[in-house]
Amino acid sequence: MPSRHRVGIVRFPGTNCDLDTWDAISLIPELEPVWISHKDRQGEDLAALVLPGGFSYGDYLRTGIIAARAPVMEMVGSFADRGRPVLGICNGFQILAEAGILPGTLLPNGGRTFLCQEESLVLENCRTPFTNLFLPGTPVTLPIAHQEGRYFIDPDQLQEIEKRGQILLRYLKNPNGSEREIAGVTNRSGNVVGLMPHPERRVRTLFGRPDGLLFFRSLALHLERQNSRAVQPIP
Amino acid sequence: MTAVPPSRFRIPAPEMERIRILLGRDPNLTEEAVFSALWSEHCSYKSSRIHLRKFSSKGPRVLMGPGENAGVVRVTSRTGIAFKMESHNHPSYIEPFQGAATGVGGILRDIFAMGARPVALTNSLVFGSLRQPRQMTLFRRVVAGIAAYGNAIGVPTVGGEVWFDERYAKNILVNAFALGLVDEDGIMSAVPPPKPLLAVYLGNKTGRDGVSGAAMASRSFSGGDTDLRPQVQVADPFVGKKVMEATLLIIREGLAGAIQDMGAAGLTSSSVEMASKSSLGIEIDVDRVPLRDSSMEPWEILLSESQERMLLLVEESRVERILDIARDSQVSAAVVGRIIPEPVFRVRKGEAVFAEIPVPFLTEEAPLYDRPTRERAPSPSRPSLLHTPSEAGRHSIAELFHRLLDHPNGGAADWISRQFDFEVGTRTLLPPGHDVAVVDLREEERAVAISMAGFSHPLTRDPARGAMLLVAKCVTDLAAVGAWPVGMTDCLNFGNPERPETMSDFVQAVGGIADAARRLGIPVVSGNVSFYNETDGLSIPPTPILATCGLLSDRRSVVPGKTALAGLSLALVGSSKDLSLGGSYLDWILEDPEPGPVPLVDWETLGRLQPFMSVLLSGGRVRASRAIGRGGLLRTLLQLVSADQTLGAALSLSRLENPLQTFFSEAPGRILLAFEPDHARIVEQTALEFGVPCRTIGSTAPLLWNIRYQDREGRAKELSDSPEQLKRRYAASLAGQMEDLP
Repeated sequence: MPSRHRVGIVRFPGTNCDLDTWDAISLIPELEPVWISHKDRQGEDLAALVLPGGFSYGDYLRTGIIAARAPVMEMVGSFADRGRPVLGICNGFQILAEAGILPGTLLPNGGRTFLCQEESLVLENCRTPFTNLFLPGTPVTLPIAHQEGRYFIDPDQLQEIEKRGQILLRYLKNPNGSEREIAGVTNRSGNVVGLMPHPERRVRTLFGRPDGLLFFRSLALHLERQNSRAVQPIP
Repeated sequence: MTAVPPSRFRIPAPEMERIRILLGRDPNLTEEAVFSALWSEHCSYKSSRIHLRKFSSKGPRVLMGPGENAGVVRVTSRTGIAFKMESHNHPSYIEPFQGAATGVGGILRDIFAMGARPVALTNSLVFGSLRQPRQMTLFRRVVAGIAAYGNAIGVPTVGGEVWFDERYAKNILVNAFALGLVDEDGIMSAVPPPKPLLAVYLGNKTGRDGVSGAAMASRSFSGGDTDLRPQVQVADPFVGKKVMEATLLIIREGLAGAIQDMGAAGLTSSSVEMASKSSLGIEIDVDRVPLRDSSMEPWEILLSESQERMLLLVEESRVERILDIARDSQVSAAVVGRIIPEPVFRVRKGEAVFAEIPVPFLTEEAPLYDRPTRERAPSPSRPSLLHTPSEAGRHSIAELFHRLLDHPNGGAADWISRQFDFEVGTRTLLPPGHDVAVVDLREEERAVAISMAGFSHPLTRDPARGAMLLVAKCVTDLAAVGAWPVGMTDCLNFGNPERPETMSDFVQAVGGIADAARRLGIPVVSGNVSFYNETDGLSIPPTPILATCGLLSDRRSVVPGKTALAGLSLALVGSSKDLSLGGSYLDWILEDPEPGPVPLVDWETLGRLQPFMSVLLSGGRVRASRAIGRGGLLRTLLQLVSADQTLGAALSLSRLENPLQTFFSEAPGRILLAFEPDHARIVEQTALEFGVPCRTIGSTAPLLWNIRYQDREGRAKELSDSPEQLKRRYAASLAGQMEDLP
């Protein structure tokens, strides 16, 4: 049996969706989760990185701002630059945006309270390593759980990311006042993905659909394909 | 430092006298501070202790009972659940955000001090009327405070209760419950082994926040209490999480002999209580305590209630490793004292001794009161409600139903629950909005259900019967998802125990809970008493809040409390022997000056309901199930069909002796079931087999809300409504008041 692809889960002090993310990745036979500390600088042997949700550094000062300056982020940046898959969920998305790896920023919700609820979403970009099993326009249901999830970006950049197809998914009904109902975006080359909803919370459930599982299965598919094609930059 | 008059710590004169006699001298300032904390109602339970003995904590599953940080009950072959509930009423009234947040932090520390990883939080909140802006602010900020702590530390808030009632305007209630999972072999205790141990401080640095909080929580408020702000503690969930992970690691590595969190009365109570449990003494050097403010006096350090701190008793050889773990986790740690053979509590500051008190003086010799009781004038009850057209005549059933839904007490609590992360950890099988919260154990296919009950109105009418009702309600809730009750914790919120009427309520309520729990074989494994919920001489109604944990032997048979399916049959199962309306939500809304009696629980049928439901649900034949709760049958039915906006129901009832009771009684022991019509026979047969009354009353139906019945005289009656409009009312009555943004 070929060795499994090692997926690094980056933990900052205050990260709290780390175990759930570990659990979700463990469900995929082709993937092997490994812990990455906020102090780590090496990630050469990793196939992908995931920044899970939580309250890194207590979300003090501003959400994601302290984590964006942790030692590990240098590695995350160069990992992303080399076209390798990076996924930021919730606080992970906020950190990637704060670090400038993803466009835009996440402001406090319009209603100013924390929101934990299920959202109907539509997937738009299905060429990323985390969404290749979906078809564009696929409706998915995923939960959100955040206080700072209002996606904001200046109008020029907004036009640009719209044009380049960098919108990953949108809310059907805007819960937090995000620009253009944006719930997730990608970087220009599409290998870095950030989203506010939590796919790792919908991988197995007694009621409802395990829509989140497809994000991790997509990653496995992407890595398997890449293996068979040898290493190629992502188009 | 100038001498501080004795009143500084507000120790009552007779107790001051007792201290002088015990010590054979005047206590110095530091000693007086120590006495004030440990002899406070909050720490000593001096007014309640003799009555709490009525509770039984015995049971084959009980691994740890009262006297520990939390009770522990076995739920699988190797795992226990540790759980406890605590009040944070007084701090939350003064500073709602921090008060509520530290309430959550405090109860979580009690859980992980046992070596248990917290996996669920719930809460019970009571405020005054939302018509007052001050109550609106308190409510908003308390919810935000709970969210801020629970969400950040990553423990899901899976359920709760809320109630608005003018009589709590000056004394809001904020009770928090936490549950954790612990390996049976890994349970930590607060009782140290009889060895020479060092006292290691772990966590946040000590500051002036919360100095004397326990003493504050042990007296009534009065109009002039504007100087209490420094007595409120400040929460830091980020440090809280680091302390939690470090503590759990220390316990996992077997490094500690005993652990207690520094809660009320901080360093003083944690050190004295642990030493006292093994009849030893303890010496603390305040010079070694990590401080935020180096100018703090010894008594301030001793009484500080700075949050996120633990006290560990450890063998010397383990200290190095513990300090390493603390360094790695970026939290402060220091050796601050040691266990000594002579049973003395000694406080030093370097070489100077600041206090020297025999430990038994602080614990066993603490005052114990059997306070006088006097029954309140009984609220006049007339059995006439059983027959009269009094209220029924004045209001139509539909009108009453609308009134129940339109009040925030009858509305959906989504506005609250969506502010809590109820899913982090991904163990939540039934989130808020169902009958009870259900948490996956991820072991042997089992799950734990948590039911909260804290409705005070029946106790206002009749404290003993009302208290029994609460226990029965918990058991019914658990039965609705097929869970067996395995343990209970309580938080007893009452007024001033020095008032004989309050004390009488307390004694009767404790008796009622203890009696009901014993009948049903539910051990009461932990608990908390909050007295002095009184302001300017006005006490709150008697408000015990219960949390009962139930065990589901198969998580796959868990049934939701709502459905979106039309065409399901509806059946009402359980006892309808006594459907009196006394103490019900309807009674509260109508402010009936002459209410009916509080219903008596049909214990026998209640006992059969549980096995019946377990068998029925394990067959997988039920689509939704809900205990008849607040507001009675109609409101419960509306909740049952709430998974779809347009779904309603058509009921067809035979002749009703008393329609008001049928539609609005909250007598526990009844469950509403929804199932495919094909299964009707098997449901009825199973009910017959278990001797549980069962009546098919109608079915779920799209776009329809239609209820037909005959009144006493045999006249045909019909209630019709739009399910969508009813649901809009239900959704808007609380949220509509809170949302100020479009």
